[in-house]
Amino acid sequence: MLEAAEREILLLSLQVAGCALCLMLVPGIAAGWLLARRRFPGKAVVDAIVHLPLVLPPVVTGWLLLVLLGHRSALGAWLHDVLGWDIAFNWKGAVAAAAVMGFPLLVRAVRLAIEVIDQDVERAAATCGAAPWRVFATVTLPLAAPGILAGAVLGFARCLGEFGATITIAGNIPGQSRTLPVAIWQYAQMPDGDAMVWRLVCLSIGVSVIALAISEWMSRRIRARLGQG
Amino acid sequence: MKLEIDIAVERSAFALRVAARIDQRACGIFGPSGAGKSTLLGVLAGLVRPTRGRVVLDGVVLDDVALGIHCPVHRRQLGVVFQQGHLLPHLTVSANLQFGYRLLHADARRIGLDEVVQLLEIGELLERSPRTLSGGQRQRVALGRALLCSPRLLLLDEPLAALDHALQQQIIPYLCRVRRQIDIPILHVSHDLGELLQVCDDLLLLDRGAVVGHGTLVEVANQAATIPLLRMGGMVNILRGEVLRHDPSARITEVALLSGAIIVCALRQEGPGTRIDLLVRPDDIALSVGRVSGISLQNQLPGRIAALADAGDRILVTIDMGLPMLAEISSRSADQLGIAVGAPIHVLFKAVAVSGRS
Repeated sequence: MLEAAEREILLLSLQVAGCALCLMLVPGIAAGWLLARRRFPGKAVVDAIVHLPLVLPPVVTGWLLLVLLGHRSALGAWLHDVLGWDIAFNWKGAVAAAAVMGFPLLVRAVRLAIEVIDQDVERAAATCGAAPWRVFATVTLPLAAPGILAGAVLGFARCLGEFGATITIAGNIPGQSRTLPVAIWQYAQMPDGDAMVWRLVCLSIGVSVIALAISEWMSRRIRARLGQG
Repeated sequence: MKLEIDIAVERSAFALRVAARIDQRACGIFGPSGAGKSTLLGVLAGLVRPTRGRVVLDGVVLDDVALGIHCPVHRRQLGVVFQQGHLLPHLTVSANLQFGYRLLHADARRIGLDEVVQLLEIGELLERSPRTLSGGQRQRVALGRALLCSPRLLLLDEPLAALDHALQQQIIPYLCRVRRQIDIPILHVSHDLGELLQVCDDLLLLDRGAVVGHGTLVEVANQAATIPLLRMGGMVNILRGEVLRHDPSARITEVALLSGAIIVCALRQEGPGTRIDLLVRPDDIALSVGRVSGISLQNQLPGRIAALADAGDRILVTIDMGLPMLAEISSRSADQLGIAVGAPIHVLFKAVAVSGRS
């Protein structure tokens, strides 16, 4: 049903968004918890940096990432020399772009989910002898799970739709960085690309609906387990 | 238990300064709201860090600001019951009960799940979610969870304040059972004196961040400054005794007190031989120099005046009848009776002025 080109675009998009989600999940939960529960000097700065990709033009974010991770930067050179990773203009660059753009959405959702948890319940758990990490793992994390899941879905969707930063750092290379939105943009430029655009648009909508349905199903299961019916 | 407290908590709008040694099995911390009771309990639990001073429990330093010692909450081995229970909403009652129990080494567990479930009668609730519990059930589960932590000290922070009066009276017997049957010292915070007197031996009185009295009710009641505080909290005499016999036709029950005296109260459900605590409010008591005949008051007990405390327009009289009893009379009556410490006196009260519970 899908042509080879379409299959390549779809699988690449899922791969990039999936990798980006894995990359940002742990730092996203940590940052959300830090912003919800801790007071520390420079918190406002951390908050601003996390949220920056939400307000900057995506192209600007992409260009800054290119400067930060490209061959000529110290970090880019280190990644190339030590790990053999080239970030710019391949699929890893697309993952980096998607992760940075999706990160604030995940952090916001996690932060909100943790902020609404009654801290007295966490304190009560501590009085029962649970160390802070255990309170986090057995009380905070399970209670925040529905919110974290919602944030993960939102972040994943944002990764799937990432365009501006992706094309700036990773370009438009088939099999490397030509994800769904990049491909749609490319075919839309072509005089006879309309049919392909339509097929890709339908594919895009299909993937989004499936992601939403899966998250709804998981959210119901989690809520049932938490006894929130 | 030996608890030494000498701490100060200073905040912009509030200062708490407490120095006390507590070695009773069950001590009640009493004071009006804003007195600093819960802050004190927070310090003991490790949730509030004192500005100055130290806390030592059975030789173990929990806090010493000067030495920079602060034992974190989870290492204090205390059991805490909060006003709202604070059960873990995502776990069943059973998992809540065992939350602290599972974190203990097997040889550190001094109380078993079955014992606690039986004591608090919560067997029916084990598989339920905390969200479906009533207030009284929730507090019993919270008490059970704290006990199963095998604590060195049980801290009760206004455990009944969120319940209505009828429910409070249903839960108090459970607290008394815990006190009687389980060898764990209790610190019980409340603004309800009646509740404390039923559970505790001793009182620590707090007012506006300072200790204003420490001792048994009779001891603290003999300081003029504490009487308004005690009166506000619902001062009550607790007379421990045993049901003797019922007279259903007269609708009365006779109770023998530990001192041997016999008291008549309104008909009770408990069978003869049942241990019972009778509650008589000091202002429901009348005093007379000799026995009075031709009077409707059912109870007339002889005693001797042990102490007098002047509380402005009222006088608080401590009477020794083999056990101490407090009576509150007007200064005018006191003048007319000409009472003095050491003088013999009769204590009079109606059978219906006596409430009780087993």
